[in-house]
Amino acid sequence: MVPLSLMKEGDHVRVEQISGSGYLASTLSQLGISVGEELMIIQKGNESVIIRARGSRYALGTGAASMVLVTYIPGAA
Amino acid sequence: MTEIRVLLAGNPNVGKTTLFNTLCGVYQHTGNYPGVTVDIKEGTRKSGTVTLRISDLPGTYSLSAFTPDEQVARDALLTSNPDIIVQIVDATNIERNLFLTTQLTEIGLPMIIALNMVDLAQESGITIDAACLSKNVGLPVVKIVASKRTGVDELVQTIINEAGKAGEKRTPLVHYPSSITAHLDAITKVIQNHREHLTNLTPEYASIRLLEGDQPLSDRLHKAGVTIPVVDTCEPAEVDAHIQDIMLARYKAAEKVTSCAVCCSMCRVMPTDLLDQVLTHRWFGIPIFLSFMWFAFQLTFSASAPLASGLEILFGGITESLGTLGLDPTMTSFLSDGVIGGVGTVFSFVPSIFILFLLLSLLEDSGYLARAAFVMDRLMHSLGLHGRSFIPLLIGFGCNVPAIMATRTLQSRADRIITIISIPFMSCAARLPVYVLLAGIFFEAQAGTVIFFLYILGILTAIGTALLFRRLVFHDDPSPFIMELPPYRSPTLHAAALHMWHRGKEYLQRAGIVIFGGVIVVWTLATLPFGVEYGSAESLAGTLGHLAEPIFAPLGFTWQLVVGLIFGFIAKEVVVGSLGTLYGGEDSLTTTLAGDPALGPATALAYMVFVLLYLPCVATLGVIKQEMGSWKWTGIALGWGILVAFVLAWITRIVALLVIGA
Repeated sequence: MVPLSLMKEGDHVRVEQISGSGYLASTLSQLGISVGEELMIIQKGNESVIIRARGSRYALGTGAASMVLVTYIPGAA
Repeated sequence: MTEIRVLLAGNPNVGKTTLFNTLCGVYQHTGNYPGVTVDIKEGTRKSGTVTLRISDLPGTYSLSAFTPDEQVARDALLTSNPDIIVQIVDATNIERNLFLTTQLTEIGLPMIIALNMVDLAQESGITIDAACLSKNVGLPVVKIVASKRTGVDELVQTIINEAGKAGEKRTPLVHYPSSITAHLDAITKVIQNHREHLTNLTPEYASIRLLEGDQPLSDRLHKAGVTIPVVDTCEPAEVDAHIQDIMLARYKAAEKVTSCAVCCSMCRVMPTDLLDQVLTHRWFGIPIFLSFMWFAFQLTFSASAPLASGLEILFGGITESLGTLGLDPTMTSFLSDGVIGGVGTVFSFVPSIFILFLLLSLLEDSGYLARAAFVMDRLMHSLGLHGRSFIPLLIGFGCNVPAIMATRTLQSRADRIITIISIPFMSCAARLPVYVLLAGIFFEAQAGTVIFFLYILGILTAIGTALLFRRLVFHDDPSPFIMELPPYRSPTLHAAALHMWHRGKEYLQRAGIVIFGGVIVVWTLATLPFGVEYGSAESLAGTLGHLAEPIFAPLGFTWQLVVGLIFGFIAKEVVVGSLGTLYGGEDSLTTTLAGDPALGPATALAYMVFVLLYLPCVATLGVIKQEMGSWKWTGIALGWGILVAFVLAWITRIVALLVIGA
């Protein structure tokens, strides 16, 4: 399990845990990003990422991206 | 004559306000980024003998409100008891939109889905079978394209038909696991004997809300002495588990409906992704943003210059012909020095303002501004601001008043206060005439660049302010930034021109009323006491300016400039207006200012910096008080602005004197 902020562009990942305040977890779950959800990393900043989840693009800023813990899904295109 | 009360609900940025404008034939500002509507807007539409009373709610992803604007939407949906709910669903992103549908249907009111942007969905390879969708959600579905007014009449007819069928039982959309339904049944059993405390909610729906942790509702029941089963007895960890289970069940329901109704050719590389690769690039993102802005200001200045000088010649001509009419001298002075000198000068900057508004509207409609927020978040986070603060700050370029209202999309109070204190440093449109005038005179060819750097200075000051207050007052980190990035849409000139016109119209109205009033005050002060030469040092205005002049001596401002600053508090447009009035005479303001030996590039620069920063206008101060609900913070905003303006204008002058030597 690694923070989302450490993944590479184009990686497909699965959300395993959302740490930090309840605000982050509940905001993400409203957008359909909860534990078990699969995401694709479209763009990477220094500590921020743009992801695609359920057909929409979301920007997770510095701080948010490091609190989402994910596992890599190998072989997904 | 019957009346139907309609609530427009939906996710952020799905076109609610566009539909509202189309339905009600009015204009409310819309934009291609989430969170433009922060308040409930109301309008009406007549259809035969029926009047639809329509409320446009702020966008919300769910009914568990986190930010002030989401709370507004939640409260309206749950307590206003409308006749019908119309949910606007973005056809390009149907699944996430249906997540809200699963919650809205539980309220138990008549409801319709307006499936918007079907044209864009088709372009990206998504075709939606409306009949199938309708069957699965158990609601009428009307396909519309709000921006092109397609399907709107059919929607109105459906609203009228459905509102009549109130109270019909629907099969529930969401199937909760048995553990949850057992809890819900237990809660419902108790609270159905206390309906008077449920504010129009059905006991079944109220029990779902209670299990989800609706604080206001459980407070009301507790106050009435009701003990709520499950909710009152379980551990916080169990509460979280229940919420997760409920959310999951809703997503499953949304997913099921989507999989049936949508046929989508997946995995195409979207043009949006390609654009994002470049525009939000780790290194190029900020330079690209800055070059967009620099280009916008260059274009604003160069394209508007001929128009502005044309207007100036026109007003000069009117002044001249006034002199030949043989009117009473006081009347002539009032018309030429007061009205034309003041209001006329302000009006000659209308072209610059319209062009700047047009360019900002084009950027906004394209969807780029949401990216700009993301690009800036990296920077802003380290500087103590929230990424979402960026949009209110950007709106501040137009006018600080709506900018401060837009901070309602921020969830934490610390983030809000810091943003509100920083906003007045964003150079609003009213300050632009001062720069255009002075930079045009003293920096000629470099005027566009000078103006660009003034805007940058404003941004830097805003950031510095945020950093300082975050470190010294609040100590905590900004809350995490999460924002939806809408797909890029090619902006239409028609829509952008409409934005430009409506924002520009506000400016014109202000120029007409507030500025006219301000200018009359300045003219009166410049004329009285009777007998003194108009606008001379002996007039009341002169006395006032001379009294304050020593304070501004380090900055090198003349007394006329000081009077301009004092009256600029009414509205910053009045600065140029009163300069026009005070320097009034045979020649145009430009010639007079250029010929004033007391003025040079360094002083002009210091003056522009001072005007940029010194204090928000009365209207801004009023809205700061309203949004913060605190005189203390309003006072801090005021004092901090004056202090910063003084110090930075002084430094600017010293540096400019060293560099330019004038």
